[in-house]
Amino acid sequence: MRSSPRVGFVAGLALAMSCTAPAAAQDAEALRRELEQMRKQMQETQAQYERSIEALSERLRKLEAHPAPVATPPAPPAPTVVQAPTTPEPPPSTPSVMDLLRRREPFALYGPRGPGQFLFDMGVAGDFVANFVKRSVERTESGTFAGRENRFFPREIELNLFGQVDPYARAEVRIEAGEEASKEELTVRLAEAHLTLLTLPWGTQLKLGQMRARFGLLNQVHEHDLPQTDRPNVLRAFFGEEGLVEKGGELTWVPPLPFYFEGLVGVFDGDNDVAFGYGRIRNPLVTARLRTFFELGDTGGLQLGASLASGLTTDANRNTIVGVDAKYKYRPDGWLHPLLTVAGEALWSRRTVSITSEDPDVVAAEQIRNRFGWYVYAELQPFRRWAGGVRYDWTEYPLDPGREWAVEPYLSFMPSDFLRFRIGYKHTERSRPLLTDAGLSPRRMDEVFLQGTFILGAHPAHPF
Amino acid sequence: MRRIIVFVIALVAGAALLVPGARAAEKIRVVTTIPDLKSLAEAVGGDVVDVDSLTRGTQNFHEAEVRPSMMLKLRRADILIENGVDLDAWVDVAVVGANNGKIIRGAPGRIDVSRGIPLLEVPSVRVDRSMGDVHPLGNPHFSLDPGLAPVITQTILDGFARLAPEHRAAFETNRQTFLTRLDGEMARWTQTLAPFKGAKVVVFHPDFIYFLTRFGLAQAAMLEDKPGIPPSPQHVVRVIRQIKEEKIKVILVEPWNDVKLARRVADEAGAKAIVIASAVGAVKGADNYIAAVDFNVRTLAEALR
Repeated sequence: MRSSPRVGFVAGLALAMSCTAPAAAQDAEALRRELEQMRKQMQETQAQYERSIEALSERLRKLEAHPAPVATPPAPPAPTVVQAPTTPEPPPSTPSVMDLLRRREPFALYGPRGPGQFLFDMGVAGDFVANFVKRSVERTESGTFAGRENRFFPREIELNLFGQVDPYARAEVRIEAGEEASKEELTVRLAEAHLTLLTLPWGTQLKLGQMRARFGLLNQVHEHDLPQTDRPNVLRAFFGEEGLVEKGGELTWVPPLPFYFEGLVGVFDGDNDVAFGYGRIRNPLVTARLRTFFELGDTGGLQLGASLASGLTTDANRNTIVGVDAKYKYRPDGWLHPLLTVAGEALWSRRTVSITSEDPDVVAAEQIRNRFGWYVYAELQPFRRWAGGVRYDWTEYPLDPGREWAVEPYLSFMPSDFLRFRIGYKHTERSRPLLTDAGLSPRRMDEVFLQGTFILGAHPAHPF
Repeated sequence: MRRIIVFVIALVAGAALLVPGARAAEKIRVVTTIPDLKSLAEAVGGDVVDVDSLTRGTQNFHEAEVRPSMMLKLRRADILIENGVDLDAWVDVAVVGANNGKIIRGAPGRIDVSRGIPLLEVPSVRVDRSMGDVHPLGNPHFSLDPGLAPVITQTILDGFARLAPEHRAAFETNRQTFLTRLDGEMARWTQTLAPFKGAKVVVFHPDFIYFLTRFGLAQAAMLEDKPGIPPSPQHVVRVIRQIKEEKIKVILVEPWNDVKLARRVADEAGAKAIVIASAVGAVKGADNYIAAVDFNVRTLAEALR
């Protein structure tokens, strides 16, 4: 009786085994298939990893082939005579449907751009001036910055956009804000907007739009780039405070001569209230300029120029202004800046003036007024950060009788190429008081100028 | 007045007609912005080209003054070769004043040799001028790294061949000859500087990073506060301390920089300030590309000894 349970257990086990044998065989088969599938997946994954590792290794090899920008240098690649790539890299391929469907940042489908790839340059120049004068000058608004005497004001905040339009033309747009006389308000205006056609034949070039006319040395220079705080008296007297800013075109010609020579002819509306205010292209303001340059050894350079502007005044009378200019710079070899700069301009004006009778609409007579003015300045820059100089002005008034002279010493401090502080003193003497809207000016005038100028972003290099 | 104007126009036009008369069979006129490229262009162009540079080696190329005499050279140029990467951006002003459509940006006669150069010190963070006169595209002073001469000369060759395809074979032969010679010199230069591998130097302006990297040397500090910003007394004191602490032997200075200050700092710190050829023609004896690199290798090795 003791063995009966054992026998029963064995018999039951045998029965159970005999019943489950076909099912186990089926499971083993399924397992084999599963294993096989897993092996295949493993092999595919392995192959995929190998491909990835290979690609990464290749990328690493390429990176290592370039010298790394770190202080600890890599082994130098041998300067073997390799053929550098002769064709630019192909453009990125067209995005696939999956690329289009994938979530992305705005504009993510555009090709990656490196820094500075903005297609044009942009810069801001800020120029602030403070001037201090006697009360008599302030009351009569007869200072250099008329209507802004004894004020600290933003003279010119300029946004400058410039660059290549296409393979044939360049363009430049300058928008300016500044405090106008007596307004104590900022006005924003279009200072310049012009395009230059660069590929015209026979060494010619055409500039169209609104621009500072290339007359003399300093008319085309912006306020913040002037060598002194203010524009020379003769230019302000003959062309107004802003200078000759006109709408029209300038054609230049640089012939292939053994020496530098540039000829220019300009045709403009004539919108200058002081000198040429007729404002119609049918009776245009015509300008011309000849410029040449001589190298004086490796260290010196002399530029000579002659300019002409002829047009109708606001009251349709002929006004012709002729100017000559010269500029010399001495820059010792290897210096980062010129040691000495000497420059000057002289202008003659021949202007017809209508003399009216009691009835202002009736012209009683016409008179010719010949006027003359000039300035010269010298600047020394013995140190990179410091420059000092002096300017002398002498000018007759283009309409009124009388004349004035002024002397202006100044000192500039430049912490960097993009920041400048300047202090200047100007003493002016007039042969007779000047009649302004606010009264008669004093004959003698002393002014102190403080100026701060900064440049943000791009700023085109200055010509000689 | 009208007579005077007519006379002047006639005079200039007559002279202009006379001058280019004999130019038909002349060489290709090439103008480069810096003398390093003049030397390489001469090596590739050989007798077919007539090369002139707008600047001299003793000048700081960042601050070249745009003179009308540059415009005169560019007026007559068939090809303009520029360094690029903002080193010589001033050339655009000179080109606009030259009235020569053959060399304006995008024209076939304009060659920018920075194409294909693996630039160093490319900023990886947002840059602004608080970092000094920083170059957003990378350090532009690569022209005197002899290891990059194959790339630069290939770019020049492609540009020359674009304008004068009939001379391509001659350009290729010239280039191969030059590079073979350079290869030989390079082996010698590498051997000369091999004992100093890993040595640290101080530079006045970051002009030499490509050269130093090529020969396994390291730029430890800069005398300028930041690129283009003259050194302040506080910064000079810091650099002197660093030179002493790290036992740096050499300060490299360009001939156009403040050599006196570099020498004062070197005296104070117990190092040596050496004037190095920052460009071809910058110092006596560095009259061409290979001579300039050779001068730098010899001078540096001697100072590090």
